[in-house]
Amino acid sequence: MSIVLCRIDDRLIHGQVVIGWGRAMAIDLIILVDDQVATSDWEQELYRMAVAPEIEVRFVTLADAALHMADWQSNGKRGLMLTGDVETMATLRTSNPEVVQRINLGGIHHRPGRRERLPFLYLTDQELRSLQLLEAGGAIITAQDLPTTPPVALKSLA
Amino acid sequence: MIELSPEVVIPLLVWGTLVGLDLVSVPQAMISRPLVAGTVAGWLAGDVHTGVRVGVVFELFALDVLPVGAVRYPDYGPATVASVALGAGSYWQLSLGLSVALGLVLAMLGGWTLQLVRRSNARAIQSRAAALAAGESSAIRRLQYGGLLRDACRGFTLTLLGILLAIVLKENARLDEQTHLALTLVAIGSSLAAAANGAFRSSGRSARFKWLAAGAGAGVLLAVLA
Amino acid sequence: MLRLFAVQGTWNYERMLGVGMGYAAEPLLEDLKAVDPVRHGEAVARSAEFFNCNPNLAGLALGAVTRAEYEDIPGPQIARLRTALCSPLGAMGDELFWAGLVPALMGAALVGVVLGAGWWAIAGFILAYNGIRLWTSYWSLRLGMQSGMRVGSAIGASWLPRAIELIGPVAAFTIGAALPLVAAWYLTAFGWPAGIGAAGVTMAGIALTRWFAPFLTPVRFALAAMIFLVILRRVGV
Repeated sequence: MSIVLCRIDDRLIHGQVVIGWGRAMAIDLIILVDDQVATSDWEQELYRMAVAPEIEVRFVTLADAALHMADWQSNGKRGLMLTGDVETMATLRTSNPEVVQRINLGGIHHRPGRRERLPFLYLTDQELRSLQLLEAGGAIITAQDLPTTPPVALKSLA
Repeated sequence: MIELSPEVVIPLLVWGTLVGLDLVSVPQAMISRPLVAGTVAGWLAGDVHTGVRVGVVFELFALDVLPVGAVRYPDYGPATVASVALGAGSYWQLSLGLSVALGLVLAMLGGWTLQLVRRSNARAIQSRAAALAAGESSAIRRLQYGGLLRDACRGFTLTLLGILLAIVLKENARLDEQTHLALTLVAIGSSLAAAANGAFRSSGRSARFKWLAAGAGAGVLLAVLA
Repeated sequence: MLRLFAVQGTWNYERMLGVGMGYAAEPLLEDLKAVDPVRHGEAVARSAEFFNCNPNLAGLALGAVTRAEYEDIPGPQIARLRTALCSPLGAMGDELFWAGLVPALMGAALVGVVLGAGWWAIAGFILAYNGIRLWTSYWSLRLGMQSGMRVGSAIGASWLPRAIELIGPVAAFTIGAALPLVAAWYLTAFGWPAGIGAAGVTMAGIALTRWFAPFLTPVRFALAAMIFLVILRRVGV
């Protein structure tokens, strides 16, 4: 098996990821790509608690993720790769476009400078442009918080 | 057929408002679960039996909903109350289908009104952003009471609209008995499909699926024996 | 603690539970005003920032963050604690309550209703759910206040992970048991041909809502089937 979902969600691992997508897609590996969390034991402890024991969780830096993506693609597990922002996912896509083909925008919330595109999706114009560039480069990008809600194409978010 | 007089409508409106508030805002005591909302509405309308029958159908639909994060979902509480208002006093076999149809439309509308309230809350917060950043407790209190009031208004309006539609349908729905029966069967069949889908999704391919199957086996056995 | 029951009172897409958490934190932070008024203002502002978790476990975050504020932990670290707590308190709370306790108790209530328990089944559901959640709210707030920044270890060592493991199978079993019972409860009133028709609708509903998910939701399927039926009857089928 392989990485079956690449998701951007600034809440990182939470109910929608674990129950919503995790169960529906029979995920057994979650890879959280976040430089801060990868070096913080107490944060890792909290995020690990959100996940059932039978699901493996790996906390990796962006550099490590870029190195190991090909291994995860062929390690026999159904993986979900998660980043907290657009920039990190864009870098992962650049490192390995074959693994990061489809990108799920699962939840990016309000911050100064961001504008509401969907109730669960706030983006700055710069973030939107980055996503549009990724799509122009061949990535398939949709916004969808749960498997039970309709996906929204990137072009309708502008 | 029970007449929707003010003595019946006013308690239903109060109940619908409370049920609407309970779903998200306060107190989340599960009175908004359709089984509870429907049974109490049936009691208020003088027909507990229909209240339970309507409540169980909507409960099956509600079992398909997983209210996680910001996801949009139907609001079955006020919808169930209005459905009971429509069906009360009739044979459930004949009235359930039309009642459920009304309730499903209201539930979808209820989901949409939840979005409106959430957006309205966000606008209120934006207008007090400076006070929040300055740590003014009074601003937090005002926002909180405003949010609760908006949601109460939402529940009230939804229930009122539902009851008005129930009155219109009671007087004007011209369907023959066979169509009423067939609608009821479609409502029951669809609600069972919704609950089954929810159960399959929650179970995934995990050990939980075996427990679901074991429960289904026990349920079939009980149904045969009962 | 009562304020925690309205923690979703200002739910919105910008801060989610943030303002509700601020409202619940207000009395807990009151003593800080006399000790350090500047810190109090900062703490109140932080308390209403973006936050999201299952409302029934919000007390853990509220207690932990309040204690951290009194212990003078630097603001940015408290902000990271709040962010990190969204994850387990959301996922564990959703597993325990929305995907566990509620369907488990509701499945049992439906079985009870079908078997003739009537009001007792419904009262049992309400009392059991609210008893458990009241106690959980009290426990959460107390554990959060006791643990502060060490709340992660405290949650890990508590009964929560084990309860989540246990409640999932119970929920699956009771819902599994309820569905055939409810189906029989409705359909025995109509006889075999009608029962087979309703079962056909169920099968079609399961298949179509899966194939055409997420566009065709069960609600849309039901309404479409009803409209289709009325049209068929109108044209005389």
